[in-house]
Amino acid sequence: MMRINPVLQKELKIRMRGWRAAGMIGVYLIFMTLTASFALIMSMDDYYRSTIDPEVALGSYIGLAVMQLVLISFISPALTTGAISGEREKQTLDLLLSTPMTPLSVITGKLFASISQVILLIIASLPIFSIVFLFGGISVIELLQLFGFFIIIAITFGSIGIFYSSYFKKTTAANVMAYGTIAFLCFGTIFLTILYLGITRNYGYKGFFPFLYANPIIGFTSILWDQVGGGNVNIFPGLIFGNTAAASHISTWIINLLFNIILSIVLLILSAKKINPLKERHRGRFYLSRKGKK
Amino acid sequence: MLKIKGLVKKYGKFTAVDYLDLHVPKGEIYGFVGPNGAGKTTTMKIISGLMEADRGEVYVNDIDVLKNQRKAKEVIGYMPDFFGVYDDLKVTEYLDYYASIYKINAKERKKICDDLLELVDLQDKKDAYVDSLSRGMKQRLCLARSLVHNPELLVLDEPASGMDPRARVEMKEILRVLKDLGKTIIISSHILPELSELCTSIGIIERGKIVISGTVDEIMQQVYRKRFIKVKIKDKTEECAKVMQEHPLITNIIKGENSIEAGFEGSEEEMAMLLKELVMRDIPVISFGQMEGNLEDVFMKVTKGDEA
Ligand SMILES: Nc1ncnc2c1ncn2[C@@H]1O[C@H](COP(=O)(O)OP(=O)(O)O)[C@@H](O)[C@H]1O
Ligand SMILES: [Mg+2]
Repeated sequence: MMRINPVLQKELKIRMRGWRAAGMIGVYLIFMTLTASFALIMSMDDYYRSTIDPEVALGSYIGLAVMQLVLISFISPALTTGAISGEREKQTLDLLLSTPMTPLSVITGKLFASISQVILLIIASLPIFSIVFLFGGISVIELLQLFGFFIIIAITFGSIGIFYSSYFKKTTAANVMAYGTIAFLCFGTIFLTILYLGITRNYGYKGFFPFLYANPIIGFTSILWDQVGGGNVNIFPGLIFGNTAAASHISTWIINLLFNIILSIVLLILSAKKINPLKERHRGRFYLSRKGKK
Repeated sequence: MLKIKGLVKKYGKFTAVDYLDLHVPKGEIYGFVGPNGAGKTTTMKIISGLMEADRGEVYVNDIDVLKNQRKAKEVIGYMPDFFGVYDDLKVTEYLDYYASIYKINAKERKKICDDLLELVDLQDKKDAYVDSLSRGMKQRLCLARSLVHNPELLVLDEPASGMDPRARVEMKEILRVLKDLGKTIIISSHILPELSELCTSIGIIERGKIVISGTVDEIMQQVYRKRFIKVKIKDKTEECAKVMQEHPLITNIIKGENSIEAGFEGSEEEMAMLLKELVMRDIPVISFGQMEGNLEDVFMKVTKGDEA
């Protein structure tokens, strides 16, 4: 029989209890509905036509996607930055670590409890997204693609939160660092790319600057760009949307997705190492040195 | 059952546990006594797999704790000195949570929770939120928590600290039941008398080292062999001091203006002999008697004395 991770089970039980979870979904849906209405009204105003226009649908699809990205970026780390530091502040971490549960299961249990909550929000937003089907223009596959991307982003940002939560004693510090890191991925990478190409006077850089594959906003833009069938656009040297003209062209967002997955795995392993009271490697070395002396 | 050999733990340059050896046979309640900062918590955390040792070995039931963490944790129940509870769980949910971590199935968990709540006398708080419990109740709940997987060794770090006398009595009652159930228990305290009636053997730790260890009777003899006597005299203080100094059973004399305090390592008969000798030497003794030594005072003196 498969056993559910006990930490995950307990966290879900607590999180889903009472009005907090329902309230969160409610607020989330209000934001999404407002965005959809806003996008619809904006595009209707422009045309003042009562006929159904696919461009209106695309406009609201993009608007909803952007809104969802923004919400997920704020919510995912917030749900995890207290995961470990909160246990430390509450003095419950030692109780957990005195059990045979491995640090990695503790970490993944915490992460997936938070991610489940985000997934719940994403699923709850599906009906709102489905209005775009009324107008056509976006396929179900494409919508699922986008949602898959969102879930990976949620896992990545959640892992960043957990990572700082295990390294810092205070949840506040973990929060600052997590949002700082996400801001760096979103904007810092662009700034550094421009800076680098500027310093090296590489103004005619052709192709996609590798550093930018780490940028979730660029990954997100690339997926939408592919879906609405935009052509090649060179935003600035190093940042291209559409076909990057490489012989073996892989979409930017797929590489960004891979980067996110690897980053999450690395951060989760480091977090588990951090909360493990026993650093296996050191002990091994000590045993060796002691045997050597004898 | 529990064997510690040459355990060393350093925090930077400071040595908190200094080549500590300790042996607790099965079924014993071992009192681990020492002043604050002696290294009790550090030792207990290492036993429970919550901290690395710099050197040494720890065995529980022949399981090497420092190497075979997972297996060791299955047989150890640990109650920390400071701990918290999840404020959003009910009492049964709290126990159930930890039981599920030990991979106990749901049906058994329910029975275990009921039994444990009965043991620690919290049945009527079953559905209360953990956060609403009093400090003493939380401590009992945490003790129950450390028992969910029916461990063979219980590591209890100052379970009675900060408790009022009544709660202490209740805690002791529970520990007696556990003793009758055949559990091996190591329990720490910075107050010796608190443990003397409960424990079968005791080890006194100071500055990371075991200073004395043995059965309760042995320890009590070693600790209380030393009496403190006080002699009041009308005058002739110097002469009195001289007589006492020459007496073989007298240690460390403190002279006052018209009184002398001293340690005395002997029986009551020998004390009577000393008084007789003083009187026979024409020393005007006004009063002669044993000082009411606070047990803790005596204990502190003993541990300090050994360290010098
Ligand atoms: N994390 C730590 N870093 C540095 N010193 C510590 C740490 N934990 C404990 N100590 C020191 O180690 C000594 C032993 O502490 P502890 O094991 O808690 O003693 P006890 O439980 O007997 O009061 C104390 O002097 C304490 O100040
Ligand atoms: Mg302590």
